[in-house]
Amino acid sequence: MRVVILPEREVREVPAGTVADLLRRLGLHLDAHLVVRGEDILTSDVRLAEEDEVEVYPVISGGA
Amino acid sequence: MRCHRCHAPANVEIRRSRIAFCARCYPDWFRAQVQERIDHDRMFRRDQRVLVAVSGGKDSLALWHTLMRLGYRADGLYVRLGIGEYSRRSQAKAEGFANRHGLLLHQVDLEADHGFVVPDLVEARSGKPCAACGTVKRYHFNKVAAELGYDVVATGHNLDDEAATLFGNLVHWNGEYLARQLPVLESTHPGFVRKVKPLYRLSERETAAYALVERIDYILEECPMAKGAKSLAYKDMLNCLEEQQPGAKYRFLVGFLKQGRSVLPAAAPEAADVRRCSRCGQPTTAELCAYCRMADRGRRKHETKDRKYGRTPVGP
Repeated sequence: MRVVILPEREVREVPAGTVADLLRRLGLHLDAHLVVRGEDILTSDVRLAEEDEVEVYPVISGGA
Repeated sequence: MRCHRCHAPANVEIRRSRIAFCARCYPDWFRAQVQERIDHDRMFRRDQRVLVAVSGGKDSLALWHTLMRLGYRADGLYVRLGIGEYSRRSQAKAEGFANRHGLLLHQVDLEADHGFVVPDLVEARSGKPCAACGTVKRYHFNKVAAELGYDVVATGHNLDDEAATLFGNLVHWNGEYLARQLPVLESTHPGFVRKVKPLYRLSERETAAYALVERIDYILEECPMAKGAKSLAYKDMLNCLEEQQPGAKYRFLVGFLKQGRSVLPAAAPEAADVRRCSRCGQPTTAELCAYCRMADRGRRKHETKDRKYGRTPVGP
């Protein structure tokens, strides 16, 4: 399945699985990202299909 | 997963509470959490004027949106820091939000009004970028709030920010900073406006989810000057722990506020010799306040670069 990682819009192809599997495969923290399909934020248990396309939003901002 | 409230398919899970909400119910839950904190910690009343420190990022815009929806009298303040394209884009997000919702956004332009930009401070070796930038922002939020008669300054610091700050202060045993780490900083001098952090118990992920669900157009990119900041490393470590132990960040911060603070020596009272800065009038213990001293170094660097590159000076 196709994954677009924001903000750079880096495109990755990964095997379909749950949202939690997807983030694990990408080496990203569950608590530091949101996975969005279309306009819907997905919970970690949602099973994705090979034809799905999702966007991964980082939520960590920093400094200070 | 199903929505805790209406049982529709869920969109946002709150792992530390083992609950989830659909996109329709989530904003109400989020706003209720903020309202509960404002009331419980006596942050401000409905008849008081709130100045929201706005950066164009998700936290400050989510906070401003929430206060607006809860019916508070909240205006915004954006400080133009002069960090190249990042600042231009974040300014556009802040202005766009204010225009869309008919809200008042005050602005301070560092370069036009004060003759320097944040990158000048780094080049002038005025400390680490985020620390220097923090001094600049805190100064202007307080100054504008005091001059325009706001009762309180509200910032978008979230659970991850506060837990990372706490972690850093513990790693370095900064006793003085630990004693001052509070969601409400009372005014200790007529020139200091109260500061509050209404989002301090909501995670960064929850704030971002609120911004997405409410279709708030915020700047996604990280500040280019924050690369390598220690706070980002601390957040990463805490998220490693959170992955294994959901709720660890919350228990760490809230446990500190409820129990940890009691074993600390009381915060040192504000120095008795607080006076007005001889140049800008802001409270300080020195002849010139820290901001004015830093601004002097920034202006000198800015003028040097103007001459070097043949630029027309923009400053005051």
